[in-house]
Amino acid sequence: MLTQAGPISADYKAEGGKLLRVRMTVTADAPPLIQALRITGDFFMHPEEAIEDLEQLLTGAPLDEAALRERVQAFFDQDVQVVGADVDDFVTALLKAM
Amino acid sequence: MAKQEWRLLLTGDKGAFDNMALDEAILQCVVAGTSPSTLRFYGWNPSAVSIGYFQGIEQEVDLDVCREQGVDVIRRLTGGGAVFHEHGSEITYSLAVKDDYPGIPKKVLDSYTLLCGGLVAGFRRLGLDAEFKPINDILVDGKKISGNAQTRRFGGILQHGTLLCDVNPHLMFSLLKVPSEKIRDKLIAGVEERVTSIRREVGTVDKDAVIEAMCAGFVEVLDIQLSPGTVSDEELALLTRVKEERYANPSWTYKR
Repeated sequence: MLTQAGPISADYKAEGGKLLRVRMTVTADAPPLIQALRITGDFFMHPEEAIEDLEQLLTGAPLDEAALRERVQAFFDQDVQVVGADVDDFVTALLKAM
Repeated sequence: MAKQEWRLLLTGDKGAFDNMALDEAILQCVVAGTSPSTLRFYGWNPSAVSIGYFQGIEQEVDLDVCREQGVDVIRRLTGGGAVFHEHGSEITYSLAVKDDYPGIPKKVLDSYTLLCGGLVAGFRRLGLDAEFKPINDILVDGKKISGNAQTRRFGGILQHGTLLCDVNPHLMFSLLKVPSEKIRDKLIAGVEERVTSIRREVGTVDKDAVIEAMCAGFVEVLDIQLSPGTVSDEELALLTRVKEERYANPSWTYKR
């Protein structure tokens, strides 16, 4: 379990889908808060620019499953099509970095 | 009802920036109604690595080796993975159409099934037992022979993809980053196992015959007429603009 602030990262391959690569810096709080975040990978998102909304939406979030799921779900509920990864996959990738 | 008439463009080999800028210029003109729906075939000179819209360039590409080898590096407008477009070893296609074109599904995944169906029909005309494998691949005998990627913007759909004529995984993995040197050989072996090419499956590569087969495949699946055409002056002007603003601009290439 993470106890120190700083950069953390994880790669997670969605089953039957695409690779999600997460890099972020977090605070030393418990649970840690996401200070900055970049999600890369070979998935598809339409419109593509929406990835920046997702990153923005997750910035400041606690690295806690319920909180992350709520934000990722809210993003998916918007007018966006994500292909190759679902809500669970994004949440799993984020938590895997811890 | 008369069949929709599409334009066929054969634009030959170009550099990566021209290639990707032309795809975008065509899409914009198709959406504006100044160009008809278009199917384009092209190649790459010099060889290039393209990365998907969402990929981290430093994570995926060994930029020093690409520079040494004279290989262009470009970020695509479309998502998906890193692709090595080797000069002479690939036929690339792109297809641009309005997003309200009759019969094209609104769901991206479903539209891959339809549009990749044109390629599947084309490979079958070449005598290959091809199938579409979701999300965005075409397989022959269980091995990948074509990768495809789509974007929807400006009110249109752009899908482009590769038709592999030859595979060179050694060169490919010298240009792409691998998690560790130890697994480089494993990755190369994996590609040799999971990826095939027209040369491997047919024995020879007759690019004109491949393009002809793919055209017939799209005509069949989309129920269209294809008429050879040329790139318009408007598209050329747009190409220059989007190349400067986007593809040849480091703030685009290095944005992730």
